[in-house]
Amino acid sequence: MSPIRTTPRTLVILSVCLLAVGLWQIGEGSWIYAKARLAQYLLQRAWSRTLAEETTVKPWPWADTWPVARLTVPSKHIDLIVLNGAYGRTLAFGPGYAESSSFPGSPGTTILTGHRDTHFEFLKQLKQDDEIMLETAAGITRRYLVQDSQIVDARTASIDLPDGEDQLVLVTCYPFDAIVPGGALRYVVTAVEIDVQRNRTTVETSS
Amino acid sequence: MHPHSFSRRRPIAGRRALLLWLTFLMPFISWAGGLPVLLACGEEPVPHAAGMPWMALKDVTQGSLLFKTNQVGRYIPAQLLKTDVQIAVTGIIARTTLKQEFVNPSREKDDWAEGIYVFPLPETAAVDHLRMKVGERTIVGDIKERAEAKKVYEQAKQEGKRASLVEQERPNMFTTSVANIAPGDKITVEIEYQETVRYNQGTFSLRFPMVVGPRYIPGTPVVMEDQPRSHGWSLDTDRVTDASRITPPVQPPHHGMINPVSLTIDLAAGFPLGKVESEYHDILTIAEPDGRQHISLRQDHVPANKDFQLTWQPAPGHIPTATVYRQQQGDSAYAFLMVTPPRSDQPITQVPRETIFVIDTSGSMAGTSIEQAKAALLLALHRLTAQDRFNVIQFNSVTHVLFSQPQSVTTDTLRRAVHYVEQLHANGGTEILPALKMALKGTPPSTHLRQVIFLTDGQVGNEDELFDVIRSQLGTSRLFTIGIGSAPNSHFMRKAAEFGRGTFTHIGSTSEVKAQMDAIFRKLERPVLTDLHVEGLEGTDEMFPTRIPDLYDGEPVVAALKTRTIPTNVIIKGSFGSAPWTTTVALKDSPLRDGLSVYWARQKIASLTDQQRYGQDESRTRQAVLDVALAHHLVSKYTSLVAVDTEPVRPTDKSLITHAMKTNLPEGQDYQAIFGLPKTATSWQLQILLGLATLVAAGLLWGFRKQVA
Repeated sequence: MSPIRTTPRTLVILSVCLLAVGLWQIGEGSWIYAKARLAQYLLQRAWSRTLAEETTVKPWPWADTWPVARLTVPSKHIDLIVLNGAYGRTLAFGPGYAESSSFPGSPGTTILTGHRDTHFEFLKQLKQDDEIMLETAAGITRRYLVQDSQIVDARTASIDLPDGEDQLVLVTCYPFDAIVPGGALRYVVTAVEIDVQRNRTTVETSS
Repeated sequence: MHPHSFSRRRPIAGRRALLLWLTFLMPFISWAGGLPVLLACGEEPVPHAAGMPWMALKDVTQGSLLFKTNQVGRYIPAQLLKTDVQIAVTGIIARTTLKQEFVNPSREKDDWAEGIYVFPLPETAAVDHLRMKVGERTIVGDIKERAEAKKVYEQAKQEGKRASLVEQERPNMFTTSVANIAPGDKITVEIEYQETVRYNQGTFSLRFPMVVGPRYIPGTPVVMEDQPRSHGWSLDTDRVTDASRITPPVQPPHHGMINPVSLTIDLAAGFPLGKVESEYHDILTIAEPDGRQHISLRQDHVPANKDFQLTWQPAPGHIPTATVYRQQQGDSAYAFLMVTPPRSDQPITQVPRETIFVIDTSGSMAGTSIEQAKAALLLALHRLTAQDRFNVIQFNSVTHVLFSQPQSVTTDTLRRAVHYVEQLHANGGTEILPALKMALKGTPPSTHLRQVIFLTDGQVGNEDELFDVIRSQLGTSRLFTIGIGSAPNSHFMRKAAEFGRGTFTHIGSTSEVKAQMDAIFRKLERPVLTDLHVEGLEGTDEMFPTRIPDLYDGEPVVAALKTRTIPTNVIIKGSFGSAPWTTTVALKDSPLRDGLSVYWARQKIASLTDQQRYGQDESRTRQAVLDVALAHHLVSKYTSLVAVDTEPVRPTDKSLITHAMKTNLPEGQDYQAIFGLPKTATSWQLQILLGLATLVAAGLLWGFRKQVA
């Protein structure tokens, strides 16, 4: 006979435990999702201040990241604040700028990464020639057109940073609807710059 | 998925099914909380075959130069940068000629190029010559104040003249810039430097680093929009203000190896040789009739992706106890002396020790480095004795400590430590500062010696900040650094140990772990030679180091002297615990040798830089360093070498494109762990599903409650 006797009392305790665990898991899951949404509101505010003050503004006092750009896709009604650094702890709040690529707004290839199930869920809807805009703290807006989307294996592929080409690369995990996180595949959207608008004049500094 | 849909059956069967269900569910619930870590888009590193990438002619898209290979139709792209190294060792002074060949492979008529290469040199190198070779002509470089040299270079660059500039970023990191390389042409830059060979525990060694590993850059980026993008992969930050200058772009390893290096050494040791070895590269050794050794790499070229190290030992019975040289230059005389105190081989009565191990588990350690560090640490744990106390600290982006307080060595604490170390894996940033502070904090019982053993590759950009902490918070602790990996930051290792009043060791391969750990334990366990001073000098004589540091087992006294007339003798005094040690060194009739003034000047610059860390203000240090560096033609933090050709070659209406030369990833490092992208999925859907499933289970159990009764 099993050493644990299944009595009504143990069952009650067990079901209460399971209830607690269940609520905890749902709570955590919802929190991740809510955090991703809520943070963007705080970030929008920090972004307005960034534009006004032209310095880095931390969205909340203990943040170890700050907004570096605003990513908009008019056709998909997407308006996201991009954070500095592509680390797990920043990606929870918004898409992150990968520091090994060109800084948003400067020439070259800029790489942004985001979670496939929160901020970058819209990547799957992007089609060729969709317009993406990236506004930087200096008030420069770069417009890009989607050139292609591809699925790559993160273990072997790498993103090229060709000299002299101004492009925007958006990266997220693939497949989009996988339940368990942690696959090796990535969905990579490449967009090519079409023009640059300067919203205000910037002072040229000589080196 | 789990069988969360089952219908009501008979009570007994139901009860069994229930238990079965729970057995399934429990482990699942218990790791659900840890999911994000466990399943972090774990990119497994894929090993790629080293070597040159092959390509067929049709793959070529740019106008790159191609070399033919043995295979028909196969070519390899011409290397943009080649390095040739010639080292001449005389006694313990080594002079190296480094040739960097910059190639502009373009065939387009108007593609003029500027090349910028960030490269390492030994941390004690005194760089004193620059020659730019254009075809048959040689243009000799001048030493100038750094800002002025930069201005001269920039102006020549604008005017279309060929020019080159050598600047110091760190004592072990330099940048060469070469302007106006014509399409299809090349410019060779020849740099000369001098260093002294390291002597330690009976072995001489010479290290030639080949690559600057990717450094971790702490701090907040200082963003300057609309500035031209700098050449490094990192932006400057508030804590590393020159970050963009010390982070050369890295070639992803699967794109093949670049920057081939050829290397030869002419070794005139001055005594009959025993073993001559190269730990990390295959070499060929040819003995010359006069006792010199001619050493070259077995392969014509090796990729610049790890340190080269040559070690040699005197034949038994020829171990020098004192090496003394002198040089007369103008009004000044210089002397160099290296004296080896006797080594005691009898077992030592052990003093109880409190040992704090600090291990770097950052992303740059991923790959072979973390395995070497773990092996070294495990070995060290087993050397602890019952009277010792210990603790283990690991750091990456965060610092984690094994015990809240150092613990006595018991089977239990040791078992926990071994388990802890075995579980370590490398990922994340290199936030050394908090770990260092934690390691230096705390006072041991007065009976114990406190020793901090620091295992790291030192791949950080904020060295100065760390030296300040070591200097100010050392207390009674002693800091021993162990440099791990194929291309560690030796400047950090050496200086940290110097400020920490300990000593440094390198471990570059797993096969070295045991020997090097044995060596470091000899030092930790044996009495230290303290209170060292030199008698017999005049007041006007300048000797460096100004204060001779405490010496550990097998380390020599090394000093450089500038004086008017060389004294006949000097007396070196010190003590091993309570036992005094004295030796007399004859200087007067020592052999003459060139380069001592350079060595002395380099030591003086190092000493001045250290003084600044002890509170002297920067403008005074700067002026003092400038005086020495300009007089001795040395590159320093404040001086650079610049060479400019006479006639312009590039028409000023043609543009010049700047290329930051890529570097290899140091051997054994994991590209993904350093430059890889993060996981881009959260577990929120999974967690909600799990939560719902658990709620259903809870409901079902609640339903079963009555049936069981």
